Amino acid sequence: MKPHPASRDVVIAAVALIVVLAIPLFHRSPAFEDFIIRLSAMALFATSLNLPVGNTGMVSFGHGMFYGLGAYAFALMMQMTDLSLPVAAVLAVSITTLASFCVGAICVRLSTDYFAFITLAFQMLFYSVVISWQSLTGGDQGLRGGIPRREIFGFELSSQLHLYQFCSVVAVLGLLALRHVSTSPLGQTLRMIRDNEDRASFLGVVLWRARLLAFTIAGAFAGLGGVLAALFVSGAYPELADWPNSGQAIFAVMLGGINSFLGPALGAAILLALNDAVTRFTEYYGLVLGIVILAFAVGFRRGVLDFLRLAWPRSSK
Amino acid sequence: MDLDALGACLTTPACVVTQATSGLIVGMLLFLVAAGVTLIFGVLKIVNFAHGTFYMLGGYVAYSALGATDSYALAVLSATLAMALFGVVFERALMSRVYGSNVLMQLLVCYAVVLIFDDVVKIVWGPEFHAMGMPPAFQVPPLFIAGGVVPPFYAVLIVIAALIAIVLGLGLSMTRLGKTVRAAAINSQMVSALGINTTLLFAIVFAVGGGLAGLAGALAAPVRSLSPGMGFSILIESFIVTVIGGMGSIGGALVSALLIGMVRAFGTIGFPQFTDGLIYIVMIAILLLRPQGLFGRSP
Amino acid sequence: MKLEIRNLTKTFGGVRAIDDVSLDFPSGSLSAVIGPNGAGKSTFFNLISGAFPADTGQVLLDGDDVVRLSKTARMQRGIGRAFQVASCFPTMTVAENLTAAVTAHVGQWGNLSRRFPPPGVRERAGEVMELIGLSHVANVEAAILSHGDQKLLDIAIALALEPKVLLLDEPTAGMGPEERWRMIERVRGLWEQRKLTLIFIEHDMDIVFRIASTIRVLCYGRLLAEGTPEEIRNNQSVIDAYLGTEAHAE
Repeated sequence: MKPHPASRDVVIAAVALIVVLAIPLFHRSPAFEDFIIRLSAMALFATSLNLPVGNTGMVSFGHGMFYGLGAYAFALMMQMTDLSLPVAAVLAVSITTLASFCVGAICVRLSTDYFAFITLAFQMLFYSVVISWQSLTGGDQGLRGGIPRREIFGFELSSQLHLYQFCSVVAVLGLLALRHVSTSPLGQTLRMIRDNEDRASFLGVVLWRARLLAFTIAGAFAGLGGVLAALFVSGAYPELADWPNSGQAIFAVMLGGINSFLGPALGAAILLALNDAVTRFTEYYGLVLGIVILAFAVGFRRGVLDFLRLAWPRSSK
Repeated sequence: MDLDALGACLTTPACVVTQATSGLIVGMLLFLVAAGVTLIFGVLKIVNFAHGTFYMLGGYVAYSALGATDSYALAVLSATLAMALFGVVFERALMSRVYGSNVLMQLLVCYAVVLIFDDVVKIVWGPEFHAMGMPPAFQVPPLFIAGGVVPPFYAVLIVIAALIAIVLGLGLSMTRLGKTVRAAAINSQMVSALGINTTLLFAIVFAVGGGLAGLAGALAAPVRSLSPGMGFSILIESFIVTVIGGMGSIGGALVSALLIGMVRAFGTIGFPQFTDGLIYIVMIAILLLRPQGLFGRSP
Repeated sequence: MKLEIRNLTKTFGGVRAIDDVSLDFPSGSLSAVIGPNGAGKSTFFNLISGAFPADTGQVLLDGDDVVRLSKTARMQRGIGRAFQVASCFPTMTVAENLTAAVTAHVGQWGNLSRRFPPPGVRERAGEVMELIGLSHVANVEAAILSHGDQKLLDIAIALALEPKVLLLDEPTAGMGPEERWRMIERVRGLWEQRKLTLIFIEHDMDIVFRIASTIRVLCYGRLLAEGTPEEIRNNQSVIDAYLGTEAHAE
């Protein structure tokens, strides 16, 4: 008797979460905890991007906008209002969802040929607003002044351990929700669109509606990632919404494996580790990253998890 | 927002001339870059995200060449040729390896090239801003047209870009190569079915695109400062130009580049805080009204 | 379901691809559409299925005109089609192709609240797979199926939508002689079991004359002849048209 696939996902998520939460009980390592906190934000960002990009075949190059928007919306609400942290987080994600719905509504109806162009242009519009609206966002200096630490459910997020626990829980729940989307009928429909949109529309799929849903959901979860990023940096920076950040997310998706659900998260982990290792030796991180990407794109050409799945076919199904 | 200032400018001939001239040079430089983007997209169906890097390197090459030779003409020429060559090498060594694969791979390769050369520029020329300064030949008193100030270099720049536009337009409509390029933009299978050497065609398209971007960088160097990352902002704007004008249309690129130039020049007066945003708003408005762009064929 | 075509016309840049064609396909009939290359056969199918709009004329399904409806709406009314070049979802397995098609057909494609596939869908997909004879490759990715199996899968996707009228554009295209006969026997089996109104385009005259109960001949967008295999075989204008173009082609 095979376990129900949905409960299998929940079990895997629970085990992963227990392991991550247990590690600090045995060994405290600030560097490792930092890494996991940053990874939780980045993994949500990259995995959510894979929904339009990998599942649907819509090449969005402006995903950083929603990551940045989530971070700014959350940080600003925490600084300017007395809302509790969960309420501010939910509101920030709602704002991001609305924004990605509006951007998506304009973009998905246009020719798919230049989807990447236009999503990038929207991101740069957002970026230029962030830079020029100094009184609100702090301009290119970023939003400073920190995020007021309000206790939630006995958690004190200024403690690194509590932040670590909070981010792990949010990230695992977020990934589980995204997993649910990708295994739902809509997820399958998105794959149909990627494979053969003409046939899909012949079968009754309303292409723009399915694409808009995918784009909106992706934006929402990128916003959630942005909230975690804002917690980590205690504020928000324009770099979160800048194009290299979108490029990094695309590389994370490709590096980990576009056809595997956990691929983007793995890619994000590898990329973060690479970043930490390289910046210790040189300030020219872009140069090193560029060379790594070229080696990957021209040589390896397939994401790590996709590669493993081909080597051991059907082991994951 | 300062609509009074904008109104005052629009009713003063001197201000109109000054702003229109600066709009023209912005638009013309943009056109040179966008023409390459639209050509490459038209023929190869590839969005070249590394195109801004060609422009940036063109500017830096011209800067060094001027230092070495003291001749601005030679500097412009060497930047153009160097970037044409760079375009071919980029196409042959990197892009041609990912033609068949996922669009994301092509995007990644471009992204990598942008990252690498931003850092290469930092290593070779340093991270700080450089000013090339006006070449000696143009250090003469400005022209005055209707009371507006027009530096002679601006006039020369506009004329050169206009000549290029004419040559490109004629080349595309009159020559065999140009006809092939236009045919490829409409139907890429047809071209390979006709037995045209696509390898050569693709390399030529990248050479022309790279050369134009290099030229734009060299022409921009005296009027703008050089910095690593300068390629990206013009890349975004040239994308906007391409989208507004209609993918693959050179005429559309010219018109929309000039439109963007003017929006920028007059927007600085009316909306000094929000000039960038203004351009995006123009783009979104045009896309909502005409999704295929001003001169694009409807699908 | 009865399909009637009335005065259907379509021009492309001044050329009449389909020129005032009127035809009846009685419910449960099995007919072939033949004609020389460029006769407008595929255009004819595209007009019936709604892939692009007709200039004038009517497409009547049991008496209802559907000519202004979208291809999706016509599909929902019961017009199914398979394509000349097999059209399926290459990265999915055969079973996934069909479950996805059934899911879309029952209007569940945008469902986010449950797992794929929705209840009952797998069973229906299984039936179609059984019917068309693809169960042995259920877990094979469509991209690596043989050419013939891909054509079958395309037909199976059309069948998953429970069509009443099924249009098959050259079901045997690109197959060897033996495979052709296997394919066409399967098609005939489907027609019998599902009580379909089946129309197919075919170039192999042996197959056409052996299988179809009625044959329609299109030439330069016009209906040249229609009748039983016997009548068509002896029709002088058909012989002229075919011999003429055949000779021309060679």
